[in-house]
Amino acid sequence: MKFWRLPLDAGSHSIPIGELHIIKDRCKGCGFCIEFCPNQVLKEAPEFNKKGYHPPLVTKQGECVNCNLCEIICPEFAIYSVLKEYKELTAEDIAGYSKK
Amino acid sequence: MTPKKVQRKEKEEPRIGVYVCHCGLNIGGVVDCARVAEFAAGLPGVILSKDNLYTCSEPGQELIKADIKEHRLNRVVVASCTPRLHEPTFRAACEDAGLNPYLFEMANIREHCSWVHLHDKEAATEKAKDLVRMAVARSKLLAAQEPLEVPVTRKALVIGGGVAGIQAALDLADSGYKVYLIEKDPSIGGRMAQIDKTFPTMDCSICILAPKMSEAGRHPNIELLTLSEIEGVEGYVGNFTVQVRKKARFVTDSCTACGDCVKVCPQVAPDEFNAGLSMRRAIYMSFAQAVPSTYQIDMDLCLNKHGIIACDKCFQACQRQCVDYSQQDQILTLDVGTIIVATGVDVYDPTPLTEFGYRKFPNVITSLEFERLINAGGPSGGNLIRPSDQKIPKTVAFLQCIGSRSKRSNIYCSNICCMNTIKDALLIKEHWPETKILVFYIDIRAFGKGFEDLFQRARREGVSFIRGVPGEIIEDPETNSLTLIGEDTLLSQLYRYEVDMAILSVGIEPRKDSPVIQRLLNLSCAADGFFLEAHPKLRPVDTPTGGIFLAGCAEGPKDIKDSVTQASAAASRANILMAQGKVIVEAITAVVDETLCQGCGMCVKVCPYSTIREDPETKIAQVTQASCAGCGTCVAECPFSAITQRHFTDAQIFAQIDAITEEAPETKAVAFCCNWCSYAGADFAGVSRMQYPTPIRIIRTMCSGRISTEFIEYAFRRGAAAVLVSGCHIGDCHYINANHQTEKRVNRVWKKMERLGLDKNRLQLAWISAAEGNLFARKMKEIDEIIQGVTPEEIEKTKQILVPKKKGKGEGTEPKE
Repeated sequence: MKFWRLPLDAGSHSIPIGELHIIKDRCKGCGFCIEFCPNQVLKEAPEFNKKGYHPPLVTKQGECVNCNLCEIICPEFAIYSVLKEYKELTAEDIAGYSKK
Repeated sequence: MTPKKVQRKEKEEPRIGVYVCHCGLNIGGVVDCARVAEFAAGLPGVILSKDNLYTCSEPGQELIKADIKEHRLNRVVVASCTPRLHEPTFRAACEDAGLNPYLFEMANIREHCSWVHLHDKEAATEKAKDLVRMAVARSKLLAAQEPLEVPVTRKALVIGGGVAGIQAALDLADSGYKVYLIEKDPSIGGRMAQIDKTFPTMDCSICILAPKMSEAGRHPNIELLTLSEIEGVEGYVGNFTVQVRKKARFVTDSCTACGDCVKVCPQVAPDEFNAGLSMRRAIYMSFAQAVPSTYQIDMDLCLNKHGIIACDKCFQACQRQCVDYSQQDQILTLDVGTIIVATGVDVYDPTPLTEFGYRKFPNVITSLEFERLINAGGPSGGNLIRPSDQKIPKTVAFLQCIGSRSKRSNIYCSNICCMNTIKDALLIKEHWPETKILVFYIDIRAFGKGFEDLFQRARREGVSFIRGVPGEIIEDPETNSLTLIGEDTLLSQLYRYEVDMAILSVGIEPRKDSPVIQRLLNLSCAADGFFLEAHPKLRPVDTPTGGIFLAGCAEGPKDIKDSVTQASAAASRANILMAQGKVIVEAITAVVDETLCQGCGMCVKVCPYSTIREDPETKIAQVTQASCAGCGTCVAECPFSAITQRHFTDAQIFAQIDAITEEAPETKAVAFCCNWCSYAGADFAGVSRMQYPTPIRIIRTMCSGRISTEFIEYAFRRGAAAVLVSGCHIGDCHYINANHQTEKRVNRVWKKMERLGLDKNRLQLAWISAAEGNLFARKMKEIDEIIQGVTPEEIEKTKQILVPKKKGKGEGTEPKE
């Protein structure tokens, strides 16, 4: 059955939300961050940077959970995330889990 | 050794002994047995013919044995009662005297003759002669057969680790067999582990289940495979090969369930075990008593995807280093002799019934959510609270039959909900006696042991039972309280009740993925989607496929006690097979003549047991003898006559038709009846002494699916006035669905008759069950009227124009003589 109800203990849990910072002109377009983001937050930007590469673009703002994987694997130190806030769970989050 | 070769070897002259039984006055009082015996003596091949008082008696059997030896009889025909009664007796007698039991034949002159024609002695005697003539004709073509003995692997597979699966596995393991217990969830326990208390004894559910779970977990004969699913099943009774996918757990067996990893996991999701009422992490254990007591990682939720480690917090937290992100699924191959299916049920989702507002109003919950709320180990610590404000409700309503007994959801009664609600109401009364409880019902079904007592106790303790489920629930948006509107059908009054919380007593339904199990194991499902047993009364835990048994709710909704009872029954049935170590397959299986098979694949399509395969290279059909049930549907379907059913060959059936139509065929009807239903129905008409006209002559086959269109046309060509094809009702076929083929074939002949301008009414198709003797008798009267109406010209015309289709290779299903 698909879940919909906000769990009774939802208040004691929260989701970390990361803020992504991309230093566009450092990017060499390897695509690691896009490929390996566990929440598929990034995609390739349509525009070019100074070097002529497509840097990453944040598509799903608010779905970054600040795991820092992109920061670790980026060979050019072109991306990093900082903890922005802890978000409270909502009924939409629960419906989203059931879809997974 | 193929039967064809056997037949050729047996080409010695038939030496038939015929015994016409008086059965006291049962036959002798109507049929002139001496005349029948005298008639039989004149039939070609008959060496001796006798009539005696009781052939089945000890002296009667001794006489047969002595005659076989003295007169070197190589065929024995007994004209007496139904073969369904005494065929085994006489076969044993023949075997004692050194004659292969498959060389014995019976003519049923009691149930099908003397008992149903009590008042027409002359016609009954004539019919008895015909029946003996048919039996003698068939007996000449009988061949000695050896039943196949198949070894049984002494290991069992139990699919599903709920209470039924656990019980079945424990029973078999205690009997000394190796058991694989497969569960798709991370822990065994099933639905029973989620329930707070059981009815009618109010035992704590997990308290009585947990010891069984851990016993199953540590039993030396049980190999527990959790997070595992069946991917393929091959083989047949006693010899199954099963492919199992054991999914990666990502936590090794060294886990001590300390729970340190959980505290650091950043990923959360609703907890399935608590029906979504609490959160769990990506690394978790379903519940405290889980077996195996090992954590696992939900990789859909974990941040470490594609083997890339984004987060190693749980790995760092685990002192014993049990976390292994690189674990892979394993594919296991298991060889087992028997399989028990205990796959359980899903809970009905009441969302489509919008009038109750489930998913819209937070204080409308299902009975499963209630179980988790009232459970001390649940998300509210056992406090019954309203989800909207987490306060204890003062008025609670239970709504019965949600998702049951309605055309809008499931049509059947889910069996457990009435008692579950009564138990729940008493639980509330136990903890919060002041709570007002209203139960809205259609009927309260308290049918089991101790159930009515519990119901009366609930009434004594002040639970109100109101007949009539509300038509609508309305919510006050301010307070989130609910108003129930409906009609009290006992008082014929509309009602309006204000409650703090409503519990939908939801029904249970087949697992969403049960079609997968059905396909893999070749099971059948009833209309409601639950697995079908081989016989609803006498083989309630067997499936139509040999060696596979059913336990628990997979077969139909039932409570814990019934599930456990059925599990033990299934284990005991599996035990019988494995204790014997072998199964005997009756020698009535289909055999392919490889020189005639053209590889068209028609037989593969119609085989209800999927036991015929095409050789991948030659396309020649291959029948697995051990799993062939002997319906003969493939034989009737084969356009090249390349398949023979042992003991029910085309030649034998043609010989029977010949015998019927030898004299005055225009006054007779040829009937083909399946052994299990319509032949038994005719027997029942006999036992009940239902009188019907005499023209019918019955040919017995195992299944109506054996009747090829050739037989029907041949009977008409021989001048028979009418033909009846009769089998089990659609859906009741003893060979799963072979009678669908019967229907198709009869339709084909009807069309052909219509096209040729013949009266298609002369071919009748009737579904008659073993209990429908009256229907059989009625059909016989109908057929008699049809025969009266058939003109000699019509019969002559049929003989002329109903010519056999030109056939390719392998022509010659018709008798050569």
